[in-house]
Amino acid sequence: MSLKYITPAERFKKYLPKDYVELVDYGPFGKTQDQAGPGNMGQFKELVEEHPMCSGCWMAYYIRLIFASLPCPEETVTLGTAGCGRLAISQAAVPFVYGNYGDQNAMASGLSRAFRLRFPDKTKDVITIAGDGGTMDIGFSMTMHSWIRGERFTTIMLDNEVYGNTGGQESGMSPKGAVLKMAPFGKNFEKMPATGLAIAAGCVYVVRMSPTNIKKAAKVIRRAIFVAREVGPTFIQAYTSCNIEYSIPTEEVFADAKAQEKDRFQFEEFMTDEAKAVIERVEAEEKAASKARKAASKAAAAEVN
Amino acid sequence: MSPNVKPKLNKKQVDINYLLKEAPREQHFITGAQAMSEAVKRASVDMAIAYPITPQSEVMHLVGNVYAEGHIKEYYRAEEELGTMSAIAGASRAGVRLFTATSGPGLLRGLEAIVSWPGHRVPAVLGVLTRVINAPLSIQPDNLEMAYIMHSGMVLLHAENQQDTFDFTLAAFAIAEKVDVYIPVAVATEGFFVTHAKGYVDMMSEDLTLTEFDPVAAPVPAMDNETPPARIQRDAPVQKSNFMSYLIHSVWQQEIWDSNRRAMKYIYEYLGGPIEVQNPEADVFVVASGCAAAQAREAHRYAQEEGLSVGLIKVRAIRPFPTQEIRDATANAKALIIPEHNIIGWLCKEVQAAIPNGGIVVEGPRVYGGMTLPVELIMKEIYDSLGVENNLKL
Amino acid sequence: MLKKVEVGPAGYMPQSAPQMGVELAPEGQALLYGNAVTPEEAMRDAAIALLTKKNPTIFPGPQVLWDWKEDVAEKAAAILDLASEIPNCKIIPMPDYRPKYPKIDVKAEINPNHPNLTILDNKIDACIFVGVHCHYANLTLRMIRAGTSCYTVALCAYMGHEEAMASIRDLHASDIQKFKEILIEERNKLGIEWTTTLPPENPSLPKEDFGTLSPADYGEYRSLIMSKKGEHVAEVE
Repeated sequence: MSLKYITPAERFKKYLPKDYVELVDYGPFGKTQDQAGPGNMGQFKELVEEHPMCSGCWMAYYIRLIFASLPCPEETVTLGTAGCGRLAISQAAVPFVYGNYGDQNAMASGLSRAFRLRFPDKTKDVITIAGDGGTMDIGFSMTMHSWIRGERFTTIMLDNEVYGNTGGQESGMSPKGAVLKMAPFGKNFEKMPATGLAIAAGCVYVVRMSPTNIKKAAKVIRRAIFVAREVGPTFIQAYTSCNIEYSIPTEEVFADAKAQEKDRFQFEEFMTDEAKAVIERVEAEEKAASKARKAASKAAAAEVN
Repeated sequence: MSPNVKPKLNKKQVDINYLLKEAPREQHFITGAQAMSEAVKRASVDMAIAYPITPQSEVMHLVGNVYAEGHIKEYYRAEEELGTMSAIAGASRAGVRLFTATSGPGLLRGLEAIVSWPGHRVPAVLGVLTRVINAPLSIQPDNLEMAYIMHSGMVLLHAENQQDTFDFTLAAFAIAEKVDVYIPVAVATEGFFVTHAKGYVDMMSEDLTLTEFDPVAAPVPAMDNETPPARIQRDAPVQKSNFMSYLIHSVWQQEIWDSNRRAMKYIYEYLGGPIEVQNPEADVFVVASGCAAAQAREAHRYAQEEGLSVGLIKVRAIRPFPTQEIRDATANAKALIIPEHNIIGWLCKEVQAAIPNGGIVVEGPRVYGGMTLPVELIMKEIYDSLGVENNLKL
Repeated sequence: MLKKVEVGPAGYMPQSAPQMGVELAPEGQALLYGNAVTPEEAMRDAAIALLTKKNPTIFPGPQVLWDWKEDVAEKAAAILDLASEIPNCKIIPMPDYRPKYPKIDVKAEINPNHPNLTILDNKIDACIFVGVHCHYANLTLRMIRAGTSCYTVALCAYMGHEEAMASIRDLHASDIQKFKEILIEERNKLGIEWTTTLPPENPSLPKEDFGTLSPADYGEYRSLIMSKKGEHVAEVE
């Protein structure tokens, strides 16, 4: 764990803006999910705070959730590309690489390999977080080939089924019939089968979901990261509606996400046997550690009493 | 990532000055592609990423062998050039030494990523083994693609022959990684004419290797979770429509070109300067770079034999462009002949813009599409410039 | 001395110092107004500026703010020693390099994407940058020279900065101590009385208590906070 680079030099601590000091004192660095995770969001200094996403944006919520779920934020680098998502991702207190259009998975291939050669004894989590256009349209070849090569990092597609940031154009992930910009008569072909493509290309852990349940969504994000560390490429396709381009009233955003859970974003979880073994092992370890911590704090409390 | 066990080599790390200037050398008779890969072998490269395109492929095949022998830590074939060049940009954020190479159409395919390397402060070395730009399809040498790099902010060196290719490539790593430079360096040479032809190359022992990459000595923090600050976005988008966004982008661009400018002192230090001048008192100069400089050198020799007042200016560095050096070297010249392997005459335009009396520039001779550049084409211009009668039928 | 690089404002879109022909100082030397001089000469001019101009400020960057390398503690101590000898000196850090969103607190920090805001708001007429990565230091120094009347000093662990009025290269903690000694000498010559005093702490807002935080505490950003179980946030901007 390299907390040194996020620890203020002792003598300068009182000259830093409080924001930065608090990030270390009350942030999730070096902490467990029980202490600072999705379960108690809003009660610790989060990695993403202010961001310029639209009011009621479901994508902003999911990005916030991604950062709260990171197993090791102090050893994580995220990569992204053009799109709404990067407006929030770039506000996180985790290094973020912004390259060119749709090249996040190619960059992550280079970055994750370079990390492994420079730090053979450390685990550095590399995660690409891009939209449906960046992942499946302009970045398609680079996304697919990173999976085909078996690159060990996590790909998260923020699927809002539209080019939101450029003003609402049709994307490969838009549903058939959707009337969007550049599709004035409605999209005339099907939504791309992203999870099927991922499985075919060799992803070892693949999930499609509408992240309406925080616990479940967090579990999936963590599983994808744990498996990518050891086994191979992992992929999450998450529904992160665009309430602007699809005209979803803010108060109905959650209901829409719920509805999608029964429609285009029915929960699907695929894992290879090898991935399953990793998940079972890590989750058992986490459970045991959490139990041990609880027992220890109980014992400590008993002692005080 | 690599299941195959690579041999562990016990190489001696030395600094660039010793490696380039002092280490004993032996002569070899090798191709330009070999010369480039031999330089990579001695450069402690961490990672090389390959994608085939003729005539470059030979270089990255050989670099693959160099990797298999254990001189490079990581190597793979990427999906295509945009993927290759993007992966270089990604790997660079981790603080490692990087190499790749491409040719004509491949360079253009990767251009979106390549031209953003300087702004991203990617100190990688790019081999450019020149090839025509389609259409129609051809694989032959023509260095038109170099014009696209000239305006990217990268340092651009142009090698005349196999020896230059070796020396320039080694020096390129040192220049790219200087804290006051830290932008990519492209080493260009002509496809086939140099890459697939043999020439004599003096090389130091392969047991010597350049000092390893230092991820801390950099003008930007490595994004490796080891270097502060934590909240980095090394090159954040600054697309807001306000004066501050325009200002940061403008000073950022200035910084790239300033870095390019600062590379000049290292071109002096490691390569003896951006130009080579023969017969400085001459009336007529042949000014050329790359393969055309080899032919210009031959024309210069012919002219010497014939007792004509002809000099040679070989341009090693296209970026930073040696404006002052060329202005000084040609101050008393009556004519400048600029042979080139491309139709647009990018070197000719640069020289015309560099000197106060552009009218003395003879715009050519130029060959393209893969045609060779006969010395007689240059001689014809020399005779015409000097008013020497001749019976050259061209 | 011909001042190749002068205190700004240099204008709307000035040439960069390297474009004007300024080169970095060779090893063992410093830059003063774009000219190579001895480090002492540069330090002396910088000291006078810091002692005589309004609101002298030190801007420490990430390389000295975070405890990531062996020499940080020593450098941090030396910077504070220097700061406490400059009358009414402030310390405003540059903790990172991404543009501040939604708005920078100009009293609490400076940012390389818009450094002029902090300089202008605090009416800083003399400043020192130390521990900022060179790329961002160059951007910052250039913008300050373009748009403000601030005298800039760059203390650099590498090769220095053409854009600064005074630039010291290959900086170690001992160089900062030397700078401090020179500054005290100049202060005495100018007859300025000063008791060694550390600069005030960062004035940013008092810390929030995350234990008792509720969505209401987020005011206008309330809609960005997830609703609690059973709560329905209907009102948004």
